[in-house]
Amino acid sequence: MQAKVAVNQKTGKSIDDAFASHFAKSMFLAVCGLVFLSFIGTRMFTHVDLNLYGYMVGTFIFIGGFFYRFIAWGERPPTKVFIKKGIKILLRRSTPKTTVEHLATYNFIWNRGIYRWTQHVLMGWGCILSCFVTFPLVFGWMYFTMDENGYYNIIAMGIQVMTVPADGLIAKLSYNALNITAVMVISGVCMALYRRLKNMQARAEQQFMYDFLPLFMLLLVSVTGLALTFMNIFMHGAGQPAMSLIHQWSVIITLIYLPFGKLAHIPFRPMSVFARNYREHYAEQSMKGCKVCGNEFVSTEQSKDVIEVLGRNDIEFQAKEGHHLAEMCLPCRRKYRIAQFSGFPIHEVKVKEANQDAKG
Amino acid sequence: MKKRLYLELENCIGCRSCLAACTQCGGHEERNRNYVYDVNPLVNRQTMPLMCLHCVNPACARSCPAQAIQIHETGAVLSALVEKCIGCQNCTIACPYGIPKFDTEQNLMYKCDLCIDRTKNGIPPMCASVCPSNTLQWLTDEEIGNRKKQFNLDNGKWVSSLPYLESETNVKVNLPGILQGIEKLF
Repeated sequence: MQAKVAVNQKTGKSIDDAFASHFAKSMFLAVCGLVFLSFIGTRMFTHVDLNLYGYMVGTFIFIGGFFYRFIAWGERPPTKVFIKKGIKILLRRSTPKTTVEHLATYNFIWNRGIYRWTQHVLMGWGCILSCFVTFPLVFGWMYFTMDENGYYNIIAMGIQVMTVPADGLIAKLSYNALNITAVMVISGVCMALYRRLKNMQARAEQQFMYDFLPLFMLLLVSVTGLALTFMNIFMHGAGQPAMSLIHQWSVIITLIYLPFGKLAHIPFRPMSVFARNYREHYAEQSMKGCKVCGNEFVSTEQSKDVIEVLGRNDIEFQAKEGHHLAEMCLPCRRKYRIAQFSGFPIHEVKVKEANQDAKG
Repeated sequence: MKKRLYLELENCIGCRSCLAACTQCGGHEERNRNYVYDVNPLVNRQTMPLMCLHCVNPACARSCPAQAIQIHETGAVLSALVEKCIGCQNCTIACPYGIPKFDTEQNLMYKCDLCIDRTKNGIPPMCASVCPSNTLQWLTDEEIGNRKKQFNLDNGKWVSSLPYLESETNVKVNLPGILQGIEKLF
């Protein structure tokens, strides 16, 4: 306990000491970063789209909630280990491949089922692309000007990137980007809802507030967004002002809710890249042999980290033989428990594990 | 009435009905999450089942960096939430009984969730509902207390969970026959 206190003592010299807490520091840096980027992107605040002002306020509130949740989460001992070591070994040769597989193509969801993969790609990429369009517009990192009739200039971060014909393909894609992503999200959400209504396994475990509510929120955002386009094109803009407020409200509520519910897995998911790197990196360094059978079953580092994390939670699994239970491989640990019940040390008998694969 | 899983380990006849039933539970995707082990494989035919004992202070959840392992209000320690599990396998290393299984293809851990879709409504878990030898039972605390009286152990050796386990668990484990030194006839 003494050691822990000493570590937390402030030295008074670090830049961290200027802030009251992690939260204050993160929030300060994030807001400064956003303001700075907007300052550059909007050419010194001369091209701010005030129509999107509500989204800006919503984003700031979202960032507050996000840091609150993320920092509370990152303070847990096991999470801290993975974040620290994950950042340290981020520059591995396999990192780009792992990142693409985990965060872009979702290979592991493909292995859980092609239907689930399809719905997840539609929803995930629909949301990601929408964010790539919405937030640059909100903070003025991207806007459009027209010098010459019939041609739009696309301005990104204050730099004129290209000039495109107003009825050309790129312009059409830009106007309709959010319509396309809305259709993607709506299809994905409908697939997800259908699965949740029909699939017995999903029905066994799902809860309305946890599993359905985020889907309905995404649906509300996408439908009200599409309704804006519909009102503009087919109703000559009738009802558009009211609908734009409803849409804005739905987006802001979803943003604020995002770090606290099921959708929190979006910002937290990059940790899976850290976890994969951690396992690969430390497995290459040295593997832990089981204290009973000698089979290598986990990296030495992870075994050590788990024992330490458990220790910080006041959990000590010391076997009578003197080693920690986490130093035994899984089959040996199970047999060791049977041995505690029966009194016969089955884990020391060299026989094949009994059949564990009964088919229903 | 709160019921809990109660194991009388030495009743096990090794039929593996519990493994087969486990595959059929909602959410288990036809993979079993429990184990049956020989007690002394080269000498006799005695077996014992082993499954998640649903610790009151579960090491798997404590070691999970993603908070993917949640504890249900009934005390059941649930399987990893599919969207949160990051595939680090900390839980498999932390569990003192070696229970969690890991699917490398799906990058997902899965473990006994005490058939939460059933037990949250007071229906016994699949394993207990099929066990032909009363090894796995679904009992109230009162009934477990009656068992204690029934076995009439005057040597103070009645055990449920401790000291044969590492910490307090929601599943109660007992070995009355072995402790009384009697053979049971079925």
